[in-house]
Amino acid sequence: MSEQQITSHAGVQSGKQIDPLAVMVRFQSLIGLVLVFAGGIIFSPRRHGVILFLQPDNIANIVRAVSETGIIAVGMTFVIITAGIDLSVGATLGLASVVTATLMVSGGFGLITTLIVVLVMGTCFGLVQGAISSKFRLEAFIVTLAGLQAARGLALVVSDNQYINISYGDGPGLAPPIFAILGGRLFGNIVPVATIVFLIFACIATLVLNTTRFGRYVYAVGGNERAARISGVPVSAIKIAVYAITGFASALAGIVHAGQFNFGSANDGTGYELTAIAAVVIGGTSLFGGSGSMVGTIAGTIMLGALANILQLNNITPAMQLLATAAIIVLAAVLQSLVRRREGLGR
Amino acid sequence: MSQVVLSANGVVKRFGGVQALRGVDFDLRVGEIHALLGENGAGKSTLMNLLSGVHSADEGAIFIDGKPVRFHSPRDAQAAGIATIFQELDLVPSLSVAANLFLGHELVRSNGMLDGNAMQRESRKRLEAIDRTIDPAQLVSDLSIGQRQVVAIVKALSYASRALIMDEPTAALTAGEVDRLFEIMRGLASSGVGIVYISHRLEEVPRIAHRVTVMRDGKVAGVTEPNAPQAELVQLLVGRPLTELYPWRADSVGEVLLRMRQASFRPQRVSPGWQAPTMVDLDVRRGEIVGLAGVMGAGRTELLSALYGTGLPGRWQGEIMIGGKPSKLKSIAAARRAGLAFVTDDRRGAGLMLRMSVGLNLVMSVIRRISPNGLLSARRQDDAIRSSFGQFDIRPKNPAIPVGALSGGNQQKVVLAKEVLGSPQLLLLDEPTRGVDVGAKGEIYARLRKLASEGLGILVASSEMPELIGLCDRIVVLRNGSSVAEFSGGADEHQILAAANGREA
Repeated sequence: MSEQQITSHAGVQSGKQIDPLAVMVRFQSLIGLVLVFAGGIIFSPRRHGVILFLQPDNIANIVRAVSETGIIAVGMTFVIITAGIDLSVGATLGLASVVTATLMVSGGFGLITTLIVVLVMGTCFGLVQGAISSKFRLEAFIVTLAGLQAARGLALVVSDNQYINISYGDGPGLAPPIFAILGGRLFGNIVPVATIVFLIFACIATLVLNTTRFGRYVYAVGGNERAARISGVPVSAIKIAVYAITGFASALAGIVHAGQFNFGSANDGTGYELTAIAAVVIGGTSLFGGSGSMVGTIAGTIMLGALANILQLNNITPAMQLLATAAIIVLAAVLQSLVRRREGLGR
Repeated sequence: MSQVVLSANGVVKRFGGVQALRGVDFDLRVGEIHALLGENGAGKSTLMNLLSGVHSADEGAIFIDGKPVRFHSPRDAQAAGIATIFQELDLVPSLSVAANLFLGHELVRSNGMLDGNAMQRESRKRLEAIDRTIDPAQLVSDLSIGQRQVVAIVKALSYASRALIMDEPTAALTAGEVDRLFEIMRGLASSGVGIVYISHRLEEVPRIAHRVTVMRDGKVAGVTEPNAPQAELVQLLVGRPLTELYPWRADSVGEVLLRMRQASFRPQRVSPGWQAPTMVDLDVRRGEIVGLAGVMGAGRTELLSALYGTGLPGRWQGEIMIGGKPSKLKSIAAARRAGLAFVTDDRRGAGLMLRMSVGLNLVMSVIRRISPNGLLSARRQDDAIRSSFGQFDIRPKNPAIPVGALSGGNQQKVVLAKEVLGSPQLLLLDEPTRGVDVGAKGEIYARLRKLASEGLGILVASSEMPELIGLCDRIVVLRNGSSVAEFSGGADEHQILAAANGREA
C-alpha cells in the first residue's frame, strides 16, 4: 500500500475496478495540458515548415508569462484545500513590487535586505488576514476582499500613485545590477529566471503539502474542520498559516514582477487572484476543500498560459481568449461535480 | 382484507454492475401502516425511490389501484397521489412554514404578487388538523426537529391523497415527538391513506405497523406480523440466527480511570437546549464499560463533550481525577494528553472527512506519531492503517476508497478505529451505533468489549436502552445534567426509565 494509493481520493472504486471518469478528474490538468499542447502543435502557424508553437523561444515565453500567477496559484492551493479563498493576492503583488522598487531605489537597501523585508511583509500581511478571519470567525472571502483594498491603498500611498522605475548600477538611487537577473534567462539564454523561481517554489510547496505533518493537517482542516479539531489538529493555527503562505507567495511574485519589468506599480497584479484560482480549480482542487494536488495546480497554470499563447499566435482577440478560458474552467468544474455525484457524496 | 393501493411486481433495478433490487414484490393496502425493514444496502431505499418516482424500474412494474403506472419523476408520483418524506426533509430553513408549504405552488393575486395572507390562512387550516403549536409565520429554522417533521408531513399530504412513504421519520426525534408522530400516522391511516414506514428501530415496529416486510440483499426476505418475536425479525434481517448480539461482561476491573465527584461544568454563556453537567458523580475503571442513560435533553452528550472540551467554552468545578491525578480538562489538547478520546454521535458532520480515503481518516488522530520530525512516514502510516483493518473488520478492505462511500456501520468502525489508534486510556462514545445495522452493531459491541478487556475504560452515552443494558457493566442515569441513579448491567429497563424520568419505579 503505497503513499500514492492511500492518498488517492478518487479513481479507485470498491474492488479493483477503475472508474475512467474519476481517473480523468484525478489527472484532468495533465490530460488537459497534453490536449492543449497537441492543439498548439496542430493549430500553430508554421514558417518554412517549422512549428512556431514548439520553438524553444515560444515555450520559454509561455512559462515565463505564467510564472507570477503560478507562484500565487501554488500558495492559493494551500488556502483552497482548507476550503478558504484569498482575494488579496493580486493587490499584495502590486504592493510588494512597489515596496521592492522603493527600498532599492529611494531607500538604498541592498538586495538581500530588500528581499527579506518584502517577503516578511507579505507573510505578515497574510498572517494578519488569517488571524482576523480565524479570531472573529469571519468568512475569508470578506476579510481578504478587505485585504485587497488595504494592499492597493498601501501601495498607492507608498508609490504616490507613480511608477517607480528601477535603474541599475552602483550608487544612490540605483538598484543592485544582480536584481535584473529576474528578467533574464539562463542555460543557454533559454530558461527564464522567473520560471526557475516559480518551479523551485512549486517543488518546495509540493513537498510540504505531500510529505509533512503540516500538509496533512491542511487536508484535514478542509476535509472536515470539526473532525480535525476533535482529532487534535491545531485548526486555527493551520488556517492562519495558509494565508501567511499566500502572503509570502504574493510577495515573491511581486519581487519577480519588479525584476522582470524593472519598475514597481501599485496597480499591477489586478485580476491575478482570479487567474490563480482558475489554475487551482482546473488543476483538480475542490473549492469545497479537502482534496486537490499541487502537481495539478502547476499543470493548470501552464495549461492556461499555453492556451493563451496558441490563441495569440493565431491572432485571436483577447475577447476570444477570455471565452476559451471560461469554457475550460466550466469543463473542469463539471467533471469534478460528476465524480462527486458518482461517489454518492452529493452535489 | 382491504384493497391494495400501491404495489410493486417483480421489480429489478441495476446501478451499473450492481443489482440493487432482484425481483421484489411489495404491496400496500388502503389505510395500512406497512413497515419496511432492512439493513443498509438491503434495497429498501431503492424500492422507496422506485415507488416515489425518483428512479424507474429496469424490469417489473408499479401498480396503483391495480393499474400499471410509469413514473418519470417524483412529480408524476405526486400527481398520482403518492408522496414521499425523505430523511433529509425538503424544507428551506430560512423560509417561513407557510412559504415552505406552498413552495412551487404559491398562491398569487391577480396582479401577479404573492398572496401571503391567503397562504398563511390556508397553512393554518392545514396545520391545525395535525399540530396546533406551529405558527405558519414562523421560520422553519426556529422549529424543533419534530415540528419540522410535522411540516414536512403536512406539505406531503397536500399531494398524498393515496399513499405516504416515510424514510426513517423517527431517526432524529425525541420519545415524546415519536409518540406524537405515531398518533398522526394512525390518524392518517384511519382516514384511508396507506403508509410505508421505513425504519431502523425494530422496537418501534409492533407499536405502529400493521404489517412488516423485511428486505435483504435486494430481495424480500419475508413478510410478517408486527408482533413477531424480535429474534425472528433479526434473523430475517441478517439472514442468520443472532444468538449473541451482546458480548460477555467484564470479569475483572482495574483501578479508577475517571473519577468525578460533585463535578459541574460552568459554560461561559448559557445556550438554550444545552444542559450543562451539574453535580455529577461518576467512576469509570479500567476494563469497564459504563453507560450514560437519560431522556433526550438530560445532558448525556453535553457531559461527554464537556469532558473532551468540544462543548461550549467554560470550566469544570468540583473534583475530576483522571488516572488518579486531578485534571481541569481545559482544552481538547489537555483531554487528549490525559488519555481521553471521543467518538461523536455526528459521524458524518464531525467524525469523518467523507471525501478523503479510509486510510487518511484512520491516521487522522495519530498524524503526530506517523510524522516524527514533521515528515510523514509512509511506513508508519501503512502500519497504523493495517493494524486498524486487522482490529476492526472494515469493508471493503481497501484503504484508498473515500470513506463517504462506506455503509453506516463501516463508517462507524472507521471512526472507532481512528480513535483507538491513538491508544487512549478512556474512550468516550456518544451513540456508538446510531444508524448502524444490526449485524455491524454486534461486531462493534464485541470489539468494545475486547478493548475494555485489554484495559481501556469506556463511557457510552446512548438513547437505546437495550444497548445500554446489554453492553454496559454499570449504567449511570442522568437527569437535568445530574447523576441521579446507578444500576448494574442487565438491570430492568423500567427501573432505569423511571429514574430517568424522575418517577418511582
